[in-house]
Amino acid sequence: MESKTRRVVIGLVASWLFVFGVLPILLLLGASLLTQDPQHFVRLPLSLEAYRQLAEPAYLQVMLRSLRLALVTVVLCLLVGYPFAWFTARLPAGWKTAILVLLMIPFWTNSLVRTYAIRTLLGTQGLLNKALLALGVIEAPLQLIYTDLAVVLGLFYLMLPFMILPLYANLDKFDYRLVEAARDLGAGFTRIFVTIVWPLSLPGVFAGCILVFVPTMGLFYVATLLGGARQLLVGNLIQQQFLNARNWPAGSATSVVLILLMALMLAAYHLLLRRAATARGPQ
Amino acid sequence: MNIGKTLFGAALLLFAASPAMAAEKVYVYNWTEYIPQAVIDDFTKETGIEVVYTTYDSNETMYAKVKLAQQDGYDVVVPSTYFVSKMSREGLLQALDHSQLPNAKALDAKMLDKPFDRGNVYSVPFMWGSTGIGVNAKEIDPATVTSWKDLWNPAYKGKVLLQDDLREVFHMALKLQGKSSNTTDPKEIEAAYGLLKELMPNVLLFNSDSPRLPYLAGEVSIGMIWNGEAWMAAEENEDIRYIYPKEGANLWVDSFVIPKSARNVKNGHAFINYMLKAEVAAQCVAQNGYATTVLAALPLLDEKVRTSPTIFPPPEIVAAGEFQLDVGDALATYQKYWELLRAGN
Repeated sequence: MESKTRRVVIGLVASWLFVFGVLPILLLLGASLLTQDPQHFVRLPLSLEAYRQLAEPAYLQVMLRSLRLALVTVVLCLLVGYPFAWFTARLPAGWKTAILVLLMIPFWTNSLVRTYAIRTLLGTQGLLNKALLALGVIEAPLQLIYTDLAVVLGLFYLMLPFMILPLYANLDKFDYRLVEAARDLGAGFTRIFVTIVWPLSLPGVFAGCILVFVPTMGLFYVATLLGGARQLLVGNLIQQQFLNARNWPAGSATSVVLILLMALMLAAYHLLLRRAATARGPQ
Repeated sequence: MNIGKTLFGAALLLFAASPAMAAEKVYVYNWTEYIPQAVIDDFTKETGIEVVYTTYDSNETMYAKVKLAQQDGYDVVVPSTYFVSKMSREGLLQALDHSQLPNAKALDAKMLDKPFDRGNVYSVPFMWGSTGIGVNAKEIDPATVTSWKDLWNPAYKGKVLLQDDLREVFHMALKLQGKSSNTTDPKEIEAAYGLLKELMPNVLLFNSDSPRLPYLAGEVSIGMIWNGEAWMAAEENEDIRYIYPKEGANLWVDSFVIPKSARNVKNGHAFINYMLKAEVAAQCVAQNGYATTVLAALPLLDEKVRTSPTIFPPPEIVAAGEFQLDVGDALATYQKYWELLRAGN
């Protein structure tokens, strides 16, 4: 009886994953290999034209710009998220829960709404400018909104929890006695961090970086709302390919490249975990 | 797919079983900020037909949605200018039954029988307008702005708003180079791109959902804007002015159509006919600041609205402007340069 229930549950989950996970990706892959058609979106014959288009300068520039922006976001999130996760993990249990709950609460609001909120904060007549003007720090409003700074700030704010949570999960399990032992043996702060804490936290660092990096490139509305849509990100490109240019193969090919990028990073992550496990040896 | 259909079937059964759901409906897909909510409520009050109202901010989005809905689609859609010919050519529209549209008899002949729908088989024009230059008179003297070229003025570095619409943006550059804004010549498009590239340092943002907001927020003081948005902005802040550039504004007309995939064709006609009533059309003009095709609405408008050159341009300005036409495959060329324009660093 129980095994039957189990089979049904597994079957349901598997078909859910198939219908909403595997099938769309297969459709995307299929569309990326077809030819553009102004009437029916895609048609035969099979072609690699869409992938060739990705090598054009406009696309490469957009890709590089997105990568750079995503990288900056990852580094910022790591710089802030790492100490945050470390100190949270060292707190008493009650405090930990409180801090994690506070971290999660903004997620109850849609990220698009929060992006609009940032816009009202940074606007020319926004809260920040008004406060600075009232305090006499500045004489004319600062141009904060529709700048690269606003985009990075928005991305950093939206993605920070995705860095903190995996890092916290990792650092929470960290055996603090290792630090005490190292200190007894005369190691300084830098040495303890570089040779003990950092290597042991690498799986968490990697997981956080992956979770921040790939979605960042797809958050097109942040670039649109906070950056004034002046420069495109990969996410904008995909949206434009599908809607404006009606070039479904190119849009699909761009998505496929993003998925491949994600897959590559996950593979690297698993490799890293396996290597770490063999290095430690069987316990 | 089958699961989807089964679920959908189950949902339909549920709906059919409950008598409260049997009310008449009409699915309307329209531009944002176009029809006042009061008008929609009045329509439901008068006819008992519930309006399911959704909006879009670009013809491209609308087109993709209508194209994908093979059945059970929208009942009324409002494509601009050449999108009517594009959609009718692709068999997405059904011929209108003019006997159900008595209010369409007395429309402005200037906007009827256009190249994109000869004889108005598929569409009835509703509102028309232009894309020109918006200026904040507090920052910039409106008398100094007469041409699209003024947006290139180095003094406006990082101050200019452009529409997030490639055809409209290329219109400016092509007009400045003395070309048609409907060109399909790749050389002319490339030359226009060259000119637009010089404009980019001046551009602060691209916005097409409600371009008046950045003007009102004081974030931009000059740029492109639709006449209706400029009108609405001036209602809140009279410093926002609208200028017809001397090279010619970009003209467009939005028309009601009924897609082939419509569910409630009769209700669709009823909705269109209602929107063409004189009092209703007048109410729309007063709110959104676009010119109506319903001539009977004009006497009902306030003096200030009726005589506003922002809403109703003089004939010579209409003659100087250009309507957008379908550029066919050349759209891909425009798109390529549009992306290059916004990929630069």
